[in-house]
Amino acid sequence: MFSSIRIALILVVLAGAGGAFMYVKNLQANLETARANVAKMEVALATSEQSLALERSETKRLGELNTQLSSDLQRAEQYGDELRATLNKHNLTHLANKKPGLIQQRMQDATNKLWDDLESITAPNNGVLDAQTGTTDTSSN
Amino acid sequence: MLRPEPQIQVVTNTVKTTVPIVAHPKQVQLNDVKIYVVSKENYDEFVKDFEAKNGSDAYIAISVKDYENLSLNFAELRRYIEQQKQIIVYYENAVKPEEEQPSD
Repeated sequence: MFSSIRIALILVVLAGAGGAFMYVKNLQANLETARANVAKMEVALATSEQSLALERSETKRLGELNTQLSSDLQRAEQYGDELRATLNKHNLTHLANKKPGLIQQRMQDATNKLWDDLESITAPNNGVLDAQTGTTDTSSN
Repeated sequence: MLRPEPQIQVVTNTVKTTVPIVAHPKQVQLNDVKIYVVSKENYDEFVKDFEAKNGSDAYIAISVKDYENLSLNFAELRRYIEQQKQIIVYYENAVKPEEEQPSD
């Protein structure tokens, strides 16, 4: 009977040791998985940071382009503004009555310049026309 | 019993749309236009010169006010063309791949 108890105790100890071994093995496997997950998370984090940096630089670039566009669009208004100011400043009817030859020449020059400007701004490899070229001639066309 | 650690799947997939930049249309080719400014002072001279040059005394007249309006209309068209072109340039720069960005 005494030896039966001893055998039972040995079996219990062996079963406990086996269970502990399995538990540790499972723990080690989980630890490995966790390590792999951490590595993947680090890669994911680095990718996210790269994406965020790219997004920031794109936002900055597009913001700069937008600012440039607003400035260019505003500059394109300059020619018309100058022309309106010139036409308001001078009485073209009076000038045409008094000095038709002079006004004719100025109108002709301004018209020729307008055609040149239109050809220039529609040239495929040319950027937009510098609004500074807007004429202040009294006979601006 | 411990639950097994869940597997994390990381899939990075970057898709960038490539928009080809098409060629711009050819530039406009405009014809010359001769302008005559006529008043009582030079009317007779104008008729004589005009007929000698054009072989006819028929012409299209426009008042000074309408000439001003014509000028303002052309200024509007010019503004529209310029701004349209600037917007196209903006979009072209925006869709350009990064390596082709103009350096400052």
